[in-house]
Amino acid sequence: MTARRTFVDLAVALVAIAGIALVLEVWTRVMSVPSYLLPAPSAVGARMAADAGLLAREGGVTLSEAAAGFVIGTSVAFVLATVMASSRPLERTLFPLAILVKLTPIVAIAPLFTLWFGFGTAPKVAIAALITFFPMLVNSFVGLRSADLQEVAFLETLGASGREIFRHLRVPSALPYLFSGARISLNLALIGAVIGEWTGADRGLGRVIFVANANLDLTILFGAVLVLAAIGIAANAFVGAAERRLLHWHPIAVAT
Amino acid sequence: MPVAIALHGVSAGYKGPVLRDIDLEVGNEVVAIVGRSGSGKTTLLRLIAGLLEPTSGTVDLLGVAPAIARRRKRIGFVPQDARLHPWRTVRENVTLPLEVNRAARTNGHVSPDEWVARMGLSDAIDAYPHQLSGGMRQRVALARSLVIDPEVLLMDEPLASLDELTRDDLRGELLRLWEGQARSVVYVTHDIEEAVLLADRVVVIGGRPAAVRGEVRISLARPRTKAMRREPLFYNLVEAVRKHLE
Repeated sequence: MTARRTFVDLAVALVAIAGIALVLEVWTRVMSVPSYLLPAPSAVGARMAADAGLLAREGGVTLSEAAAGFVIGTSVAFVLATVMASSRPLERTLFPLAILVKLTPIVAIAPLFTLWFGFGTAPKVAIAALITFFPMLVNSFVGLRSADLQEVAFLETLGASGREIFRHLRVPSALPYLFSGARISLNLALIGAVIGEWTGADRGLGRVIFVANANLDLTILFGAVLVLAAIGIAANAFVGAAERRLLHWHPIAVAT
Repeated sequence: MPVAIALHGVSAGYKGPVLRDIDLEVGNEVVAIVGRSGSGKTTLLRLIAGLLEPTSGTVDLLGVAPAIARRRKRIGFVPQDARLHPWRTVRENVTLPLEVNRAARTNGHVSPDEWVARMGLSDAIDAYPHQLSGGMRQRVALARSLVIDPEVLLMDEPLASLDELTRDDLRGELLRLWEGQARSVVYVTHDIEEAVLLADRVVVIGGRPAAVRGEVRISLARPRTKAMRREPLFYNLVEAVRKHLE
């Protein structure tokens, strides 16, 4: 049932993409659009095949930066959310700080990170971590606070410790929120890594896009964007699969 | 009769006072607490369970403070509309009380599976809560509160969210349970007939802040059957409780 629906969804998406590509192909050929304005999809495809090695290598770099940033950002966010959920005074102290982080424009501080951490992976990971931090913090915090109060009371009457209530009730109650946080954060982590590469890097898809832009080399630019999109879609599918597996008991997971 | 639960001159509240000067002693019997909605019945139950500290007076559970009785795992608690742990199967939900606070000794001689069977849920033992009806979920809530074999059972309107036929089935289940083993049960309800059918004593609370309005000893014989609801004595008892409520 679900496998079949996934197949149908995928088929519809592929047909839509093929349709758009076809329209663009015909348009660029009929109107003779110059390739430095909009390259024909066939030209982008040919370039992607020719430079497959480059795109795979640089895509791998961007993916690993984003993944590292995601893991660090979401882990710190979860730990902080745990602290905030367990104490009102700490919540009141830490939340304004978290909002400060959220309000800092990433594009503005990205060059600063490059200045501090150099041209290597570190500043990209830092930016990806920073950008994933806030959505995960809010989702974890709300999730940990969402535990059913009657169930908390039930565990308390059994003499369960705070740690047991956290493990047996609060964390599983937070899981649906953690997953929606992860879905948002994962895409943001990719964007963060690309922004980091854009402002100064020798590797990564952001670097490829930056150089292509300077050279008006639009076939590789679109190629890099498509690879980035493919990574994003694959990452989302991965989270979706994990969600279906871990949240099979949840009404939303059951409904979709 | 040994006293399991003793409240002496207890007042309590949250922002304002909710309960005033409550005296209540419960031995090995079923005591129903009846009152209007919002009269402080649940607050009274939270006090007994030690989830709320009294502003004055003392609460004793099995001769000790409620917090200690809780740590010794002597209290069974059935909430009004048990959400259970939705990520756990029926069996896993009933096993949960044995997994927490392991330091405490549990008297349980009846296995979780056996409790599930006694509640008539053997066919659903591997089902998840979202696959169960409200009545089945309350049966699970009952089973998981009994799995530690508590000396004190606290029930907060456990049937209030169910339809009438299911409630009737579960009342029969509870009556069978009372006959099985002597326990101290505090049963909170707003349903007068339910209170009379199930309890040995009905305590009526009311007013703002709520105080004990009166008490009716239920002289119906045990074992009780649902057919007793048609007896004249049953009507008289219901009327007696109603009078205290008005």
